[in-house]
Amino acid sequence: MNEYAKVPDAGGEDDLALIDLVMAGDRRAFEPLVRKHERRVFRVALAVLGNVEDAEEAMQDAFIKAYRHLDQFRGESRFTTWLTRIAVNEALQKRQARKDSVSLDEAPDVESKSLPGRFEPWTSNPEKLYGKQEIRQIVEGAIQALPPIYRETLVLRDIEEMSAEEAAEALGITIPALKSRLLRARLLLRESLGSHFEEPRPLPTRILDSAKRLRNMMKVMAGTAGR
Amino acid sequence: MAMLTCKEVLANLSNYIDEEGSAELRRALEDHISWCRRCRVVFDTTEKAVKIVLDVEPFEVPLAVSARLYTRLEEVLSES
Repeated sequence: MNEYAKVPDAGGEDDLALIDLVMAGDRRAFEPLVRKHERRVFRVALAVLGNVEDAEEAMQDAFIKAYRHLDQFRGESRFTTWLTRIAVNEALQKRQARKDSVSLDEAPDVESKSLPGRFEPWTSNPEKLYGKQEIRQIVEGAIQALPPIYRETLVLRDIEEMSAEEAAEALGITIPALKSRLLRARLLLRESLGSHFEEPRPLPTRILDSAKRLRNMMKVMAGTAGR
Repeated sequence: MAMLTCKEVLANLSNYIDEEGSAELRRALEDHISWCRRCRVVFDTTEKAVKIVLDVEPFEVPLAVSARLYTRLEEVLSES
């Protein structure tokens, strides 16, 4: 840990101070900036790319690009937003270059799949059903399973807690487009988490359902027997 | 405000969670979910999903990945 690293930061003022130092020739001041933002940059790259190896490369390239173009940061947006935008761009370029890449808009059936299909309430205490580590694995798995454009939107908004404006800027899309992706992303996530967090249904409902199934089965059997 | 259909309710779900939209729209949504069980479940469980994601422990960069980042940066920072 070095002398720059321990300063608390609410609105990104420390980022600005560090940037000024780098611009004034103190290159070492770039390192605490990286320490502060590496988790987010990696998370975002991973969200776009879906695998650790590519995300690592995108993260390295993003920080180097940010360092070399630091003079272009004008402070109109927060440094976090500016840097996240660079990370998203690096990751998107990598995704497009990848041979097996699925183009951005090719997300067949997402429209219909993200319509709610599960209507059972969830438990109020997921911690009672699963350990922390288990919940983390379930959530990670569900996020990784999202189509990329929904995954990156969800990560920026609901994990990195960027505002809609910041996330839209970082992804280079409009705010309405961001909001519409976020809705889909959340609905898809809800569907996939549902199997883990739904409350076990009360016995009477289950018995009724079984009775219905049995009745239907008997009808079908009666129908075929008559032929 | 006129009664909302389930489709309209769903379209506004995300904004509702983010506490956006007019007070009138929020009231109309709350009215709808007070009598529509399906939409109520979808609202409630989506809110829970977002909360679960938010509450998950912060993600760490793997140590080896982080170490390689600083090695590469070192090279770049020491270029003249």
